[in-house]
Formats: sequence, structure tokens, C-alpha cells
Amino acid sequence: MPQYFRDSPESLVPDALAGFAAAHADLVAYHPDHGYFRTRHTAPTRRVGLVSGGGSGHEPLHSGFLGTGMLDAACPGRIFASPHNRQIFEASRAVAGPDGVLHIVKNYTGDRINFGIAAERLAHEGIHCARVLIDDDLATDSDDIAVGRRGTGATLIVEKILGAAADEGRGLEDLAALGTEVTRRSRSLAVASAAHTTPASGAPAFALPDNVLEFGVGIHGERAEGTTPHAPLGKLVETMTDQLLAALPDTAGTRVLALVNGLGSITSLELYGIRHAVAKALDDRGVGLDRSLTGTFVSALDMRGFSLTLFATDAEALRLWDAPARTPAWPL
Amino acid sequence: MSDQPGPKGLSHAAVLDWLTRFAATVRSVEPELTALDQKAGDGDFGANLVTGMDGVRRALEALVASTGNGRRGPDVPLDAAARVFLDDVGGTSGPLFGLLFQELADALGMAADPPGTAALALGTAAGAAAIQRVGEAEVGDKTMVDALVPAARALASCAPTADPAHALHVAAVAAHRGARATTDLRARRGRASYTGDHARGVPDPGALAVALLFASAHAELTSLSRLPVS
Repeated sequence: MPQYFRDSPESLVPDALAGFAAAHADLVAYHPDHGYFRTRHTAPTRRVGLVSGGGSGHEPLHSGFLGTGMLDAACPGRIFASPHNRQIFEASRAVAGPDGVLHIVKNYTGDRINFGIAAERLAHEGIHCARVLIDDDLATDSDDIAVGRRGTGATLIVEKILGAAADEGRGLEDLAALGTEVTRRSRSLAVASAAHTTPASGAPAFALPDNVLEFGVGIHGERAEGTTPHAPLGKLVETMTDQLLAALPDTAGTRVLALVNGLGSITSLELYGIRHAVAKALDDRGVGLDRSLTGTFVSALDMRGFSLTLFATDAEALRLWDAPARTPAWPL
Repeated sequence: MSDQPGPKGLSHAAVLDWLTRFAATVRSVEPELTALDQKAGDGDFGANLVTGMDGVRRALEALVASTGNGRRGPDVPLDAAARVFLDDVGGTSGPLFGLLFQELADALGMAADPPGTAALALGTAAGAAAIQRVGEAEVGDKTMVDALVPAARALASCAPTADPAHALHVAAVAAHRGARATTDLRARRGRASYTGDHARGVPDPGALAVALLFASAHAELTSLSRLPVS
């Protein structure tokens, strides 16, 4: 049975936060009294503070993307649990610019409510606050799901593009609209061949028979609605690519950015193989691949799987994507 | 003058006593709230509410010890309660109570001295609106909103010059009716929404807590208005 390297289930997150703060002390500062990270370096042109957050267990999201060109503050919750509204409120108050603060929120009930309470408190103090809601997960795109699509890989794309746009001095409403548009043009899909290990019990979150893939998993170990036989990679990626392209708006003549993301325990060897298969699938369908990013960015503890995100690009988005960023985990 | 009722307004002391009574009430009904939440939610609502109100009670004691009872607005204890619930209480329903206290504190703090029914109506309506903005629940979703919205409407229906004790009585009755009406509903928001039909037959503990908050206020003001006023 797989075991985490840690002193106790309770120490897993606090020890990691302390270690992260020390490892990247040149870039980020941890505020233990309120439980948030903030960047040590901000472009002087920035007028809006960018704040993100969510459960722990998704590293390097979000703290790994603090720094110039990306986030101003990040609020880590407990494992797979929303941060407390106080963390978000204090972080937002600390990094709010002259034009306020923008919350980048993944679509989960707890995150929506806690960021919402923080936003009410900010309004009470006269601090302008707006929100971008990330809901890119195709597996939860159904009229039966009242809470809407989950937020996954597109979060990283939104954080990068909004970071560059914020550095240009854009205002709150402008940034919120841009983030919403990037989300609208992004879809993700994830598969897993094995569940993550539950930290408290050391047991897999769910069991899968041999030669079966869970098709459409979430990033909290949620099972998918269905399984699929373990097909060859090329075939699997073709299926995923077809579904994603069909779900993207304005697909005619689309050019895309692809995020090939590991969910925790998949190897780089496999991820680059997936990257190769994605490029081929897109090329076969006449879709141009403008940019790509391959690695582990939005993880689900040690889940053995990957997600694929496609974002329908344009020249403006590419320019912002290519702008420099310096954070603990941004690879370009 | 000793037989005359007090001024039709809320004093610092009245609000202090209201919150103290609410703290005692939630402590005494905590087993029932927990039992309800175990049937249809995740079981932590009663404990969170008691922890919160214990924190509020400590904050109020500190307030009284540091400044004495007099010459402070009725918004001060509500503001202290808001900070405890927003900062220190876990889960989601606790901090949502904090938003209600924050809006009540604002409305009472900005009203003419002493604030009365109009300020209560304004603060309760603002609290209900904030909670609905954040939680996106409507009446009928089986949440605290099912008691809070009727309470806000009841207060708004009272004349602005009405005695606050009377207005709070009307609000408590409306909130209680709203809470009872959640019994037969299927939950559409909050943790209970994941339990499907298991929540049927169980009233929503958050809605009951809202009803108790207004009932505590009404009881406190009723007993205060019986006191001789010099």
C-alpha cells in the first residue's frame, strides 16, 4: 500500500507550507497568523491584486504561481477543502491595489461560498472586489448537475494570462471580463488509472479493476461517471481531443493552446508521450497548436492520471501567455 | 414615569442581553441541532454554532469589562459577534451568521439614537441579501434563508415607528413558521443537498437557529420592557 512521507496526517499540510515558504523565501512570504502567501515582488504598474486559493493537495497550484507576472496572494486550505473566508479576506486586504482585488475561484460550492463571504467583507470595508469563476471540466457538463462544471486545468491558463494583463495596469472589470472569456474558451478532461491515496487512512480513494480507466475524474478524487477500457494512448487522446474540440466555442479554424497536466504520480516520460499524441491528434484534425505546457501543475495528491486542457487562442491571449513571469513553479 | 414603557429603541444593554440569551439558548438546544444535522447534513452545525456563541460571550464579557455597560451603541456587541463568526467559526453556515450580525451592526450603528424597528428591518433585509448573494439559496431550498427571509419581510411590514419588541415578536413567529416549513422539503443547497430524500422529514437546523435568534431577541425585549424605567 502506498504511504506518504510525513510525520502524521495532521502535519502534512503545515510542514509543506513551512517548507515552501523557506524554499522560495526570495519570491514569497507566508503570513501564518492569517494563513496566506503573498508575493514579495509586484510590478509597480499593477492596479488590481490577483488572489487565488483552494484546497491543498493540488500543488504546485496555487502558491507555486505567486510572483511577478502572475498571482499576488494565494490561500491554501486543508487537503481538498476550501480556505476559510478569513484567509481570503486578509490576503485580499493585504494585496488590494488602487482598483481593488480580483478573486480567481474554481467552481466548487465551498470555494464559492468562502470567497463570497470574503467579498462581502471587502465590500463592507469599501474595497472593490470582482470574481472570475473557473468552470472548464467537460466531464461535469450536464443539465443534471445543478452546480455546473468543475474548475480544473484552465485555472493555470487564467492565472497566467490575467497576471500579464494585470501587469499592464488594466482595471478590475476589464480583468474580470478577460478571465471569464479565457474560461469560456477552455475545456478540460481528465482520466485516471488509479485513485489517490487518502492521507488519513493510507487507502486508495476508490478501487479500479485492471485494464480499466476512470474517464472524467475530478481533482478531489471524485470518481467519474463512467469507465473506459485501457485503450492505446493515441486512441485515448484522440477520443479526449474530439470531445474537447466539440465543446469549445468557435471551433471553426481554431488554433489552440494545450495543457498536458499530470494529476500527481504520473511520470514525465508518460506526460511527454501524451504531449506527442495530442499534437498528432490536433494535426490530424487540422487544428493548429499555438503553444503547449507539459508537466504537473494541477495535481490531485498522488492520483495516477492526467488532464488535457484546450484553450482556443487569439493573438492577444498568446501575447499575454508569452509575457515573462517569475514564480516558484512557472516553467517558461 | 415608572409605569411607562421604555423608549421604543434598542440600547447597548438590550442587544448585549439578547446575544447572551441566544448563546444560552443554543447551548441548551445543541443536542437537538446536532441530531438534526446528523440526519441530513454533516453533523457539525450545532457544535459550530455553540463554539461561535461561546466566543461571542467571551467577547461581550471583555467588552463589558473594558468599557462598562453604558454610553456605547447597540451596534458594538453585534459587531463583536460578527467578527467572531466571520473570523473564527468553521464551516459555511457560521460565517454566514457573521454576515447577518455585520449587517445588523451596520444598520443599528447608522440609525438615529436609539435605533428601533426601522433599523432592525433594514439590517435584517441587508443580512438576508448578503447571505443570498453568497450562498445563492432561495426560499424553499431548505436553508437558513427559509427563516431569515420571512423574518426580514415581517420586520419590513411593521411600521417604522412600531415598538421593536412587537416587531421582533412578529419576526420570530414568521421565522419559526419558515423553519417548520422546511421539514417536508428536499434540500437544494448546503450539505443536506447531497443527502437527497434523507433530508425530508427533518427541519433545517440553520433555519431553526435563525428562528431562535429572533425568539431570543423578542424574549429579551419583552422582559426588559416590563422593567420599571426611571
